[in-house]
Amino acid sequence: MKKAKIFKITALLAAIAIGYMAYLWFMPHRNVQSTKAFVTIEATALVNEFLLDTDKANSLYLDSEGESKVLIVNGTISNVDKDQLGQQVILLKNPSDKMGVSCTFTIETNDQIEKLKIGDSVKIKGVIRSGAEYDEDLDLAENAILEKCAIVE
Amino acid sequence: MKNLFLTLFMAAITISAFCQDKQSTTSGHIKFFSSTPAEDIEANNYKIISNINQVTGVIVFSVPMQSFEFEKALMQKHYNSKKFLDTKTFPKSKFKGTITNLAAINFANDGVYEADVKGALTIHGVTKEISEKFTITIKEGKVTGTTEFDIVLSDYGVIFKGGKPSTNISKTIKITANLNYGKVST
Repeated sequence: MKKAKIFKITALLAAIAIGYMAYLWFMPHRNVQSTKAFVTIEATALVNEFLLDTDKANSLYLDSEGESKVLIVNGTISNVDKDQLGQQVILLKNPSDKMGVSCTFTIETNDQIEKLKIGDSVKIKGVIRSGAEYDEDLDLAENAILEKCAIVE
Repeated sequence: MKNLFLTLFMAAITISAFCQDKQSTTSGHIKFFSSTPAEDIEANNYKIISNINQVTGVIVFSVPMQSFEFEKALMQKHYNSKKFLDTKTFPKSKFKGTITNLAAINFANDGVYEADVKGALTIHGVTKEISEKFTITIKEGKVTGTTEFDIVLSDYGVIFKGGKPSTNISKTIKITANLNYGKVST
């Protein structure tokens, strides 16, 4: 009787342990598009926040486990391109700004931009991956980066 | 007065010539690969910014660290965390180097050239001098750069003790990069 009880408890604990391991192993990636946006912001304003105080903006927008803030960014399309994976990349940048927000779509959301053209105003939702920066030493103007993007109607 | 105009004219030509000396990309691809008996881990990043200057031989890279995508969500969290690459504190890795055998590369002629690049690589806030091969391909005037090299994580202060990640992540990881630079201006 006692033995059967111990066996049952052991089996239950083993099942929980295996279940937890499976949960960790199969843990899905966060769905950026179904995550509530932290803020809606103009491309220029977002860029300026990083240029004015990089540390403050990094600590506000970036997450220590990589699940950084999901943002909705408003701006003017200044360039449309494709990356090496075939994902569409829209650059939101005002003509008077030196840097903008580079928004990478996904294979699933790629066709949302078919009708869009340079000069159009759009709202794009995505996860921020890094801020804008002018690196003097490297002589590089680096746009802020938004990924897993989709157009917000 | 005439001299002033001439000087300005020459300066303008020099500046415009300088601009054309540089090819750049904002959609380079970098992959890293780590292999242990427990598991192979691969992550891809398509947001590399890089410039190559064919006159000075200077090559620069900027890598947004949170843009690395892993197959497993948990691995991606470990990689970004304070215990590993701490990407919130160090959101970018950078490289600035120079081609030491610049004379061997003819940017005006189609071909495949082996460049020796020497420079400073900064990962996780730690800067190390490295020397690596960089293959430059010129095809119909378009410049592509590829490279493959190993880095030892502890060289960059990424040291993990005990626990699951330490046994599953190799101490040396392989970096592969593919930079799709633009066309050489003529």
